[in-house]
Amino acid sequence: MRGDLRRVLRLTVVGVRHHVLCMSTSPMILVFTLVTPLAYATLAFYLFRAADRPGTPAQVAVGAGLMGMWESVVSRAGGAVQTQRWLGTLETLVMAPMPLAVSLAHITLAAAIVGTYSMGATLAWGMLVFGMAPAFTDPALFVLAVAGCVVSLGMIGMLLASTLVLLRNANAVANTLDYPIYLLSGVLVPITVLPGWMQPISAVLPTTWAARAVHLAAGGGGPGEVLVPMGIGLALSLGCLLPAVRMIAWVERRSRTAATLALT
Amino acid sequence: MWAVEAIGLSRVYASGAGWFRTRGARITAVRDVSFQVPEGELFGLLGPNGAGKTTTMRMLTTLLLPTAGTARVLGHDVARDPVPVRRVIGAVSGGDRGLYDRLSALDNLRYFAELYGVEPRVQRARIGELLELVGLTGRARDRVEGYSRGMRQRLHVARALLHRPKVLFLDEPTAGLDPLAARDLRQTVARLVASGTTVLLTTHYMAEADQLCDRIAVISDGVVCALGTPAALKDQVKERDVLEVEVYGAAAEHIARIEELAGVRGTSVEEREHLQVLAVHTDRGAGLLGPVVAALDGLRLGKVATREPSLEDAYLAILQESGRESAAEVRA
Amino acid sequence: MITRAKVRQGARVIVIGGAISYRALFTWTAPAMFVSSLFVVPVLQLLFFTHLGRQLGVADDRFFVIGGAVLSAGFPCVFGGTMAVANERAYGTLGAVLLTPGGRVALWAGRMVPYVLNGLIVAVFTLVTGVLILRVRIAPADLLMIVPTLVTAAASCSALGLALGAIGLMARDVFMVSNLAMTVLLLVSGADVPRSALPGWMRAVGEVTPVTHAVVAARAVAGGAPLADALPALAGEAAIAVVLATAAVVLLRWFEHGSRRRGALDAH
Repeated sequence: MRGDLRRVLRLTVVGVRHHVLCMSTSPMILVFTLVTPLAYATLAFYLFRAADRPGTPAQVAVGAGLMGMWESVVSRAGGAVQTQRWLGTLETLVMAPMPLAVSLAHITLAAAIVGTYSMGATLAWGMLVFGMAPAFTDPALFVLAVAGCVVSLGMIGMLLASTLVLLRNANAVANTLDYPIYLLSGVLVPITVLPGWMQPISAVLPTTWAARAVHLAAGGGGPGEVLVPMGIGLALSLGCLLPAVRMIAWVERRSRTAATLALT
Repeated sequence: MWAVEAIGLSRVYASGAGWFRTRGARITAVRDVSFQVPEGELFGLLGPNGAGKTTTMRMLTTLLLPTAGTARVLGHDVARDPVPVRRVIGAVSGGDRGLYDRLSALDNLRYFAELYGVEPRVQRARIGELLELVGLTGRARDRVEGYSRGMRQRLHVARALLHRPKVLFLDEPTAGLDPLAARDLRQTVARLVASGTTVLLTTHYMAEADQLCDRIAVISDGVVCALGTPAALKDQVKERDVLEVEVYGAAAEHIARIEELAGVRGTSVEEREHLQVLAVHTDRGAGLLGPVVAALDGLRLGKVATREPSLEDAYLAILQESGRESAAEVRA
Repeated sequence: MITRAKVRQGARVIVIGGAISYRALFTWTAPAMFVSSLFVVPVLQLLFFTHLGRQLGVADDRFFVIGGAVLSAGFPCVFGGTMAVANERAYGTLGAVLLTPGGRVALWAGRMVPYVLNGLIVAVFTLVTGVLILRVRIAPADLLMIVPTLVTAAASCSALGLALGAIGLMARDVFMVSNLAMTVLLLVSGADVPRSALPGWMRAVGEVTPVTHAVVAARAVAGGAPLADALPALAGEAAIAVVLATAAVVLLRWFEHGSRRRGALDAH
């Protein structure tokens, strides 16, 4: 039992490391994971300044970092199956005795981890350019909240990976998922001016809770304040993971029937 | 128990691209294919491109579900129990894709070792030994994107062998390799068979099949049209002579005229730079040199020779006969 | 002497040549991707910034709707202009195109026209959708007066795209460059943030990049000012379009010359 657990852990570490390395060697990462979030951070910072609310550069930096994390998950996890198909590795992954869901979980988790590059970049940017004081009262709690967010996003990524693969125009759909989630989850600033009918949607999105936990941890919230939304976020994400795993098994079977594993 | 067993294996593709999928054509890629491969054998699927070799391989390696028939690998059904099958097989599909190009060979192998559940304690040694086997030890830390096609193919082989599979599937393993690399790979395969691995390979290179395989199934248009040892296949054409004529500018009409001669069993034409090599299969001792030359009607000729039929001749004869049969089927 | 036939031929190169290359080279071949990138995403971006602006109390909805609409012309134009050049090379047709005897200005102007139209359609769609969803009050007549500003913005963005495409002939990955360019426009144009809040150097960059002046003009006419008031800003945007288009043609000619000398038109 203990040996099994160690094997699973090792498999996860090796698998996630593998895909993080794959993604990190792509030059496109530089633009989409580092530069774009910095632009958002800059824009948001000046918007705050225009609003005469300059007191929260940390909120802006963390918010822009969260935007980058979500973007990474939508684009890389959502397109995970398609990317492997392009690389020609989808067949190799399917042919391994490990369930496809396990290999895909490595990819979506890696996408969320690569997304944390954005968080690092926007925090550094905030300190260097906007004189943001590293005011984390509890840095360990912040790191924990970000880690919780990564796991949440990884699980949501599984749902994206399994549903988007069914759509002929997955790229087109994934493309539209950025702004609505930024808006509904209040990643940059808790949004109270949304129309009333949007509030319940916002409340059931795991991203809302994960973002809240990260923001609270950055803003000096205590462990209780941070862990509760983080836990809710993780629980809601787990709700995404279960149907996703079943769906992936179904997708694999369907691909074997319809001969769509290869690119040709 | 057979290492690999196919019983009436068939696969129909429903093609139909675009927005309206309803009226797609149905293409039968593999039709009622049956064969058994005992453990430790090197079994070849030989056939022209598009004959259904790769489709058969994909069904046996659990990537594709058969539309009819069954197949088992070491007793496990490939359609119903894919996971036990995947544990005992390794597969290399032709081509240079399917690797993580931005990472090193070592990284690629480590990842797949984990996915195949190779014991952590033995992983390092196993990977080192495989890199040695395929001759990539010196380049193991280089990114795969800089590899030649042959190196990629060898890395694929190493990947497929990580978990010591009992049955190895190789789809066109030497396609696109230079002769030296192809020879090395064939030697590797021969060593694996010698050490007890069952190997199924597809190829359209006659010499490769002749040199390597214990038995060959010739497959054409999705149907197995001959099955046996290379020697047995050659026996099918031993009652023949092959008249080989180098000729400049032979046209379809010349070939047609030759094929009408009594005693001619079939012809094949190989285009070389500016001449054609015409192989005329005749009944043994038919002595048709004169009529054949006459049928070529004053065309310039090069070397003319009579020889014993080779495996290639046998293969071509089998294909021609199966073509004639299916043509007859259509007519009937 | 310029004959009528010559003029007609020039017009044909612009219109027909442009239309054909537009269809051949706009690689958003999947219609869904085209719709989502060009029509859905700009509207969503507009909604996001409007709500953010509301939350922070920075500016009214009209500010963000106009800004978002003008900026949305940039997506198809910058990417389209870049593609017009880049794909010619990717498909190996650049050599053939550069060897045609026709005038270079007509050739590349023809390449731009479809993208300008495309940008205009996208911007009008974004504007109307934004106005309807957010119930922004703009008089229909004023709405019509915004169209010239959108055309000008589309022209200057296409010229920028073409210039980036020309640079892209020398660089490896042009779309990285056009992505960065769109990010810069988002930052400095004042489409989604009051320019008064930006630091001096960012404002200075905005003075000479597309979209900025068109946004100023569009906000003026949307607020009921006569078009004449917006003319200086509009002229500024048009001047930027001309400068960028000239730069693009010069860059392309330079590239053509250089590669003919090196004998490597399709070299990567």
